[in-house]
Amino acid sequence: MIELKNITKIYEANKHNKVTALDNINLKFNEGELIVLKGSSGSGKSTILSLIAALSKPTSGEVIVDDKRISKLPDNFASLYRREHIGFIFQKYNLIPTLSVKENILLPLIPNNPDENECDFKLKTVLDKFNISHKKDSIVKNLSGGEQQRVAISRALINDPKIIIADEPTANLDEKLSLDFCDILKNLKTQNKTIIVATHDPIFFDLEFVDKIIEIKNGTII
Amino acid sequence: MFKINLHLIEYAINTILRSKTKNIFITTIITLLVFLLSSIFLISNSIKYELNQTVDSLPQIIVQNLKGGKSYDIKTKVANEILEIAGVADAIPRVWGYYYFQKAGVNFSLIGIDQYEMKYKNSLTKVAQSFNLEGESMVVGTGVQKTLQNNYYDKYFNFIKPDGGFKKIDIGGVFDGDTQLESNDVIVMSNDNLREILDMRSSRATDIVVKVNNPEEIPMIASKIKAKYPNMRVVTNEDLKISYANIFDYKSGIFLALSLIALFTFFIIIYDKASGLSSEEKKEIGILKSIGWKTDDVLKEKFIEGSIISLFAYMAGIILSFVFVYIFQAPGIRLIFEGFSVLKTTFELPFVFDMQTLSLIFFITVPIYIAATIVPSWRTATLDADEVIR
Repeated sequence: MIELKNITKIYEANKHNKVTALDNINLKFNEGELIVLKGSSGSGKSTILSLIAALSKPTSGEVIVDDKRISKLPDNFASLYRREHIGFIFQKYNLIPTLSVKENILLPLIPNNPDENECDFKLKTVLDKFNISHKKDSIVKNLSGGEQQRVAISRALINDPKIIIADEPTANLDEKLSLDFCDILKNLKTQNKTIIVATHDPIFFDLEFVDKIIEIKNGTII
Repeated sequence: MFKINLHLIEYAINTILRSKTKNIFITTIITLLVFLLSSIFLISNSIKYELNQTVDSLPQIIVQNLKGGKSYDIKTKVANEILEIAGVADAIPRVWGYYYFQKAGVNFSLIGIDQYEMKYKNSLTKVAQSFNLEGESMVVGTGVQKTLQNNYYDKYFNFIKPDGGFKKIDIGGVFDGDTQLESNDVIVMSNDNLREILDMRSSRATDIVVKVNNPEEIPMIASKIKAKYPNMRVVTNEDLKISYANIFDYKSGIFLALSLIALFTFFIIIYDKASGLSSEEKKEIGILKSIGWKTDDVLKEKFIEGSIISLFAYMAGIILSFVFVYIFQAPGIRLIFEGFSVLKTTFELPFVFDMQTLSLIFFITVPIYIAATIVPSWRTATLDADEVIR
């Protein structure tokens, strides 16, 4: 279970320029749920995702995942938590453009120093699942937007995380590719993954397998 | 059990190859720096070794006749008088001088020996025993032989005497001295022939070398000679060591200046590298952190990256400098050390392997470069990943 308690997040560009991204919000997500965070740009959706993934710390309040205070974790433990529990699909994919598909997907495994067989097995599983086996040696910058997104999803899932976070996943995709992505989410949900999607794409608001839609505006929940 | 993370090493190599141009440039600069520093140290070590060998084979005491601060011929009977001083084992009048061979633009050192007298140096004793210097014959060092052959003097040489006449002397043999520096410019012949070339009377010598039974007594005997002959200059081998060392120190100062310039350039590169990462590099670290790499993992990868570049450059620089110094004999750089007063003809730099020097160069290049690679990455890796990738 994921719980955000009295979360406030203030970004401080400098002493005279403070932005309150989240203002005392409280949220609770259950395991296996698919939650859509809805809201316009700058509403605070991405900040919520960052806090759940322990990519940043709240100014005040607590993020609790499976009874662990994620917001208080020291840097190295936060990294371990991300490696083991979180699969993050970024809006701009955040792939390393000069590496191949295979190299990008395997990146999260490197610190664990797995043997070749484990790498090959995990790689083959995600490549087949997302239908990009034929592109595994291609350099990522040469791929189309849809292909890059499938690489990003493969990378997010290579460690088989329990929580999948997607930030504006369809922002750079056409309608067909967006629907394909929804199918991927549906499939992941059947595997009892907790999925949190931040988006303002209306395609997500009518999906029958979405459990909750939460609207955020100016850092507060409506 | 500790297991080497080959994936991390592979990723580090991949990262280096992705910025090929930049990394080739950095590797080249470090290689050049190591090459320059190492060449300088190797040459100076070789020459220092050679000079020490030379100094060790110098006479214990030399007595010269001074007039108005200049050295003149000395009476040979002074040697007999010096022999009477307690503690003196031997006193030998030496006939020697310099001969400027204009055509080649080099100076030869001419040394006269009397075949039946005890010689003041091992190499000359060997010459006296091995070659017949009776008549018009001489023995030359390897460097002299090369110079003469280059000027078509294969069998003899015509010395020009002070009165303008010629003195033809046959080349009777070639000898190796105690050291390279010494043997190269030396010509050995009989005292009589040399006196004729130098226009010196038979009762005269260039100087007198004194052998002492107990080396501890050298300063005491030198002071006794000084007291007996206040008009003469008495030089001990310690005095000569100091003057050689002064010449060497002066020249190694020039090398030091060169090294400082090279080091300064290296540190500008280091400063530039340490002062920050490009936005792509920062973003990459942010991505790695966001997918679960710990700060340690990022630093380990950067450590491997820095080590590969700096160790490769270090090894390349060292190997190149060994080839440059010992195979090609350091063309260009070694000229700084070759001065008229010390070296006259060509000589081979002897191979001297000095682990201390190699370690010194290692410690002023490799760890500094690795630190300059790690520090900015550490600064970025300790920020919130969210802040870095935004």
